Amino acid sequence: MKLGLVIDLDTCVGCHACATACKEWNGASAISGPLSDYDAYGPDPSGVWFNRVRHYEVGDYPASKTINFPMSCMHCEDADCVTVCPTGASYKRADGIVLVDQDKCMGCNLCAWACPYGARELDASSGTMKKCTLCVDRIHDETLPEPERQPACVLACPAHARFFGDFDDPASQVSTLTAERGGFGLLPELGYAPVNRYLPPRTPPQVAVDASPAPPGGAAAALTRLIDAARRFAAR
Amino acid sequence: MSIPSEDRALPREDKSAQQTHYTTCYMCACRCGIKVTTERGKVRFIQGNPDHPVNRGVLCAKGSAGIMKQASPAKLTKPLMRKPGSERGAGEFVEIEWDEALDLLTARLARIRSTNPTQLAFFTGRDQMQALSGLWAQQFGTPNWSAHGGFCSVNMAVAGLYTIGYSFWEFGTPDWDHAKYFMLWGVAEDHSSNPIKIGLEKLKRHGARFVSINPVRTGYSAIADEWVPIRPGTDGLLALAMVHVLLTDGTIDFAFLGRHTNAPWLVIDAPGTPDDGLFARGAEGNPIVVDAATQAFVDAAGADLNPALFGTFTLPDGRKATTVLSLAAGRYLDARYAPATVAAECGVDADTITRLAREMAHVAFHEAVTLPIRWTDMWGRTHDSVVGRPVAMYAMRGISAHSNGFQTCRALHLVQMLLGALDGPGNFRARAPYPRRIPLRSLPENDPAVIFAPNTALKRMPNGNPTRPEDLVIAADGSPLRIDRAFSWESPLAAHGLMHMVITHAANRDPYPIDTLLLFMANMAWNSSMNTSGVREMLVRRTPDGEYAIPFLVVVDAFRSETVNFADLVLPDTTYLERYDAISLLDRPISEPDAIADAIRHPVVALDRDVRAWQDVLVELASRLKLPAFTRPDGTRKFAGYKDFIVNYEKLPGIGFLAGWRGEDGESHLRGKPNPKQWDRYIENQSFFTYPWPESMRYYKFANKDYLEFAEKHALFGTPPVAVTMQIYSEPLQKFRLAGQGHYRGPQPPLQADRDRLATYFDPLPFWYPPLETQRIAAADYPFHAITQRPMTMYHSWDSQNAWLRQILSANHLYMNRATAARQGLADDDWVWVESHHGKVRCQLRTMEGVEANTVWTWNAVGKQRGAWALSVDAPESTTGFLLNHLISELLPRAGEARRITNSDPVTGQAAWFDLRVKVTKAAPHETGAWPQFDAVAPLPDGAAMPPEPLRWTVR
Amino acid sequence: MKPAFSIVFFTVVSGAALGALALLGVIALFDLPWLSASARPVAGVVGIALALAGLASSTLHLANPRNAWRSFSRFRTSWLSREAVFSIALVGAAVVFVALLWIPVAGPLRSVFALLTIVLAWIVLVCTAMIYASLKPIRQWHTRWTPVAYVVLGHWSGALILLAIARYDASNSVRLAHLCLALAVTAVAVKWGYWRACRDERRAVTLEQAIGVAQGVHPPAAAGARSVMQARLLDAGHGGRTFLTDEFVFRLARRRRGWLLAAFWAAGIALPVLWVVGAWWQTPVVVAACLANLLGLFAERALFFADARHTVRLFHGDRRT
Repeated sequence: MKLGLVIDLDTCVGCHACATACKEWNGASAISGPLSDYDAYGPDPSGVWFNRVRHYEVGDYPASKTINFPMSCMHCEDADCVTVCPTGASYKRADGIVLVDQDKCMGCNLCAWACPYGARELDASSGTMKKCTLCVDRIHDETLPEPERQPACVLACPAHARFFGDFDDPASQVSTLTAERGGFGLLPELGYAPVNRYLPPRTPPQVAVDASPAPPGGAAAALTRLIDAARRFAAR
Repeated sequence: MSIPSEDRALPREDKSAQQTHYTTCYMCACRCGIKVTTERGKVRFIQGNPDHPVNRGVLCAKGSAGIMKQASPAKLTKPLMRKPGSERGAGEFVEIEWDEALDLLTARLARIRSTNPTQLAFFTGRDQMQALSGLWAQQFGTPNWSAHGGFCSVNMAVAGLYTIGYSFWEFGTPDWDHAKYFMLWGVAEDHSSNPIKIGLEKLKRHGARFVSINPVRTGYSAIADEWVPIRPGTDGLLALAMVHVLLTDGTIDFAFLGRHTNAPWLVIDAPGTPDDGLFARGAEGNPIVVDAATQAFVDAAGADLNPALFGTFTLPDGRKATTVLSLAAGRYLDARYAPATVAAECGVDADTITRLAREMAHVAFHEAVTLPIRWTDMWGRTHDSVVGRPVAMYAMRGISAHSNGFQTCRALHLVQMLLGALDGPGNFRARAPYPRRIPLRSLPENDPAVIFAPNTALKRMPNGNPTRPEDLVIAADGSPLRIDRAFSWESPLAAHGLMHMVITHAANRDPYPIDTLLLFMANMAWNSSMNTSGVREMLVRRTPDGEYAIPFLVVVDAFRSETVNFADLVLPDTTYLERYDAISLLDRPISEPDAIADAIRHPVVALDRDVRAWQDVLVELASRLKLPAFTRPDGTRKFAGYKDFIVNYEKLPGIGFLAGWRGEDGESHLRGKPNPKQWDRYIENQSFFTYPWPESMRYYKFANKDYLEFAEKHALFGTPPVAVTMQIYSEPLQKFRLAGQGHYRGPQPPLQADRDRLATYFDPLPFWYPPLETQRIAAADYPFHAITQRPMTMYHSWDSQNAWLRQILSANHLYMNRATAARQGLADDDWVWVESHHGKVRCQLRTMEGVEANTVWTWNAVGKQRGAWALSVDAPESTTGFLLNHLISELLPRAGEARRITNSDPVTGQAAWFDLRVKVTKAAPHETGAWPQFDAVAPLPDGAAMPPEPLRWTVR
Repeated sequence: MKPAFSIVFFTVVSGAALGALALLGVIALFDLPWLSASARPVAGVVGIALALAGLASSTLHLANPRNAWRSFSRFRTSWLSREAVFSIALVGAAVVFVALLWIPVAGPLRSVFALLTIVLAWIVLVCTAMIYASLKPIRQWHTRWTPVAYVVLGHWSGALILLAIARYDASNSVRLAHLCLALAVTAVAVKWGYWRACRDERRAVTLEQAIGVAQGVHPPAAAGARSVMQARLLDAGHGGRTFLTDEFVFRLARRRRGWLLAAFWAAGIALPVLWVVGAWWQTPVVVAACLANLLGLFAERALFFADARHTVRLFHGDRRT
């Protein structure tokens, strides 16, 4: 099993719904909660988030493109964050999810250094590293209705730009989307085999139009043509 | 894969203590359905309700952060009175009990009502209960009521309602399922947010092409297939240039125009006479057309109409009349609207304009969508299928917030009409209770005898839809009767009032002084006003005899906004998780094109402080004041409270605020007797009600017999049902124009300035003109357009008190095109002065590619006053965040008039926020920090406990 | 990377301790005259004290030290775990070794523990360095120069401590002094090589790579479009700081960097070399030279962190690592 996410850069409008839904779900979850917020109403607010949306521009005006880019743990196959962890707090499950065991973590930050994607954050209150759990407490929870056994971010996304599933299953939505749309992982050259896939923006559909210039004669001729066309239509 | 896997036992959440509730979000006015999980009385999780018609399970960042809204230390906790002897605006309050507050307010309102009801000005901001508050004002007897549409969306509403019978923004939705081409005009995040996001993904998945006309490339425009960076305020030029192309190419829908619009109607050509420019009418008073075959004059409402679309004809009385379409073609084929002419003005090159128009025409006429749905039109003909020309459009604030927004919006509707792309498959479709007849038969109360009568309800609502000068709310001498001067010669079709002018006029006692200004959920002392510093000064201005020019200010809100600080009396409201609400068809509906819908809210958390839902207070005040609709003939109160009112109030027999589960048994929908258990039925049904239209009623509602008859029966439409004929040429406008020209057979404006405005801007055909501010300043001195966008994480000023959302966005910057900035010697994080004709601010610059080269923009309403919203006095919202509002004057620069004119659309009074023109210069090295700054807001007497540091939100 | 003082202190002090203990082991094993028999236990105690000080400092870096004892458990995969295990082993071995230096014991036991100390000290040096060098997201660290520099610098500062003790003890320390100078030259060469590798941008990862411009994350192709589209950060998605910006988006002003570099060359290399060559044995000078060396290495270590460009910075707007 290889659970992970597909994120569609063609439809992500950068609304941060996934980031906040994640924050609220995990803040009260038994696995990671609470997620600290510092100086919440003060001059220097910050906090622990598992999912963050960043925004980039590619190209130059007026042909630039704005890309909204959510990032959370990639649940890498060859997760170096697990390898470097000295206490065994970081581990990978059989279903592919990489987790941090809050009872074992000593907060040395090394896993955060090892992660190229910035997936892990230190929660200063607990002294432990926290990260996306792929909502492991939702996806296997049989008390939830089946359609809701998905990560909170996937459920929340208004642009349906997030998908969850098993990449080991070639018929799953995440697999088929990746195949159809050329989904790619980030920084694969580092060798961690990130599982999450990003779908690049689609090629815009073109509308075939007649590019010929307008017939000559200006406004008067155009009006004449219109009147004739209207008469022909009325005569049908 | 080299990492061994292992599974470990995981801690589990104890769900036995959890409950699920369904209610409606209120973080914006989208009104998504939410499923709230509580645990021992605290909110554990808020998610979208998968079954809800608006959002179908998704939820935006604001909705998902509702927990922190609920947890905000900025919540008000008790009624407050300005400390006796203290200055208004100093923020010194004492707590008082509700009884005392209500007694005080009732006494004052009773005195006003029994002497001169117009002394009460009651204006509501971001509320979702305009039907109730409007009724309340009508019953009280004051015309000085409106919600905030005048500074928000009235241009779209009025343009739509007077043109196509429904409108962008509130009363329609694009057909996301069938559209093959979608053009989005001037839309950034706003309150139809989740449906647009859901829809855009669908469109893209279906292979539709999505074009965004917007000066900024963020949000929705980021994912557009084509981004058209337009100069703000010139969208009308682009639209009419596209009309020019369609007319030149001849790619217009003759059938649609002839059948469903007034294209063939005859416009009388008799300059200098009162009938000039009005429709030629037959014996029964209906407009007439010329039959194309027989050349005879026939009633335009005839069944088998085959009208001549072009031509000038001689009427029986000898006068000449020309078809609407001939007039339109003459205007728009002129070189003025040729793509090559408008390109430089709007910043879109001629080839692009031509291509966009041709793309839409191609999709409309060569990629039609046919659905196998049987339907019957209003002329009795049954059709086996519905054919759609699948071009859809949507437009919002980028069109609306300009002084040329009304005509621009009508220009967009003209494009839609020419393409035959309205309410069919793939089009912008109407949402019940729209479409409605044009013009609407609802006029504002304008009888001075009624308006000034003590203890008398108005006969009509304070707001309405004037169709001719006689409908204006003016005195015999032509002066306005409302404090916001709505429905005056200055702003005739101000269907949503002019909330942005109330404080100015009240402080200037023009046209008359008022006694009490009651503001609900509107931050007028900050981001909801133009000229913020000026407005703050006016709120505390005193008359020569030492009294405040606005004697009494009541502010109702749930949170400690900047405006709360100015109140004489603060009535604290609940949050959305603590109240009952009705999201009513009588208000702004949440209907879908395929289903009529309404919804409720009900409390999911217990109230933990001494606040009351404003609707309950309104009903209480109405009962105490014995307003007629709230009082029995024997003088006792009719309604115990808001819930009782919603169940039992009937606007018409069988028509109440909530449409679902009516009737004594709760089995009648849309129309039925009050059902005492109606609230329970809603709560049992996830707090919403939908009534899906049978397939045959879903499309072309404006001409759909089954739909129109149904709508009439259920009082959605008004009797009798008639097909809606869309108005390319708007006769009401022409009547006002005649009044301006001095030819109207009826009231005419006394002031020359008003006459000129009517003569110029009340053109019955759409046209484009430069925004009013631009016309009156040296535009070369202010080379930049300055606009705002709403971020996706915050709704107006509402979310800086949210601990999660303010981590995403805490201070706004001014964005400028990178190349433009480089040419000016400006770089990221430079502090700059931004100046308009009216004022200046200092803020921090950011550069980006995706903004039109002559435009600067910032996120709306993020900047805050120090200490407001329970933020620390050195929060970035106030030290770095800023308001563009300081640069915008609510009054136009003088151009020879005796009194200054409102900075609004001359037709509708819509506040022209985005007309702003500025120059940007680098600040000196020592000039850092946002400017202007204001005194910090004083802490409230309750000294709401600040949460611990760090904040570790949990429910256990 | 944000240079955390506790880690800077730990790696420098621990490196010096390990270098000193390793060299002490060599001296004891081959019974070199560089350090007198009475001076050797002193050196050993100093070495162990420094090692313990370093280790204590490293636990200060932990946000949840309650679980520190678990750091021995992932020996097979984690360099940090290995460093923890071998550090304890080293300290244990060194304690016995130093005790054996003090208590005359016949037979091979002293040699065994001397060898054990040498080998374990080298292993710990390598393990510590590999914690950093194994991290692929940080290309400045992910190079052979990292462990080489750490081992050399550890021996350089360790040798200085031994020389200081030798001088104080008036041992025949000329060869030791020559070793110090040789180590100084090596340290210079190695750091120069390291910084040259840092400047080699061929291994740099770009923002365009990080977000997948080549995989289609770019504007639709237009006529005349440039072949390489440039990407820029528009908005980081948070108005203020986060753990990631605190930890990784550390920006060092050019001037400050210059000061640190100067401190390394002057205090870390030049002053101690001058002292070695000048052969002054007054206590204040001796102490000052060793302290200067350590301070200079603090600066070098701070630079090691500050110059590190983690790939996370790309997502926060850096153009390349």
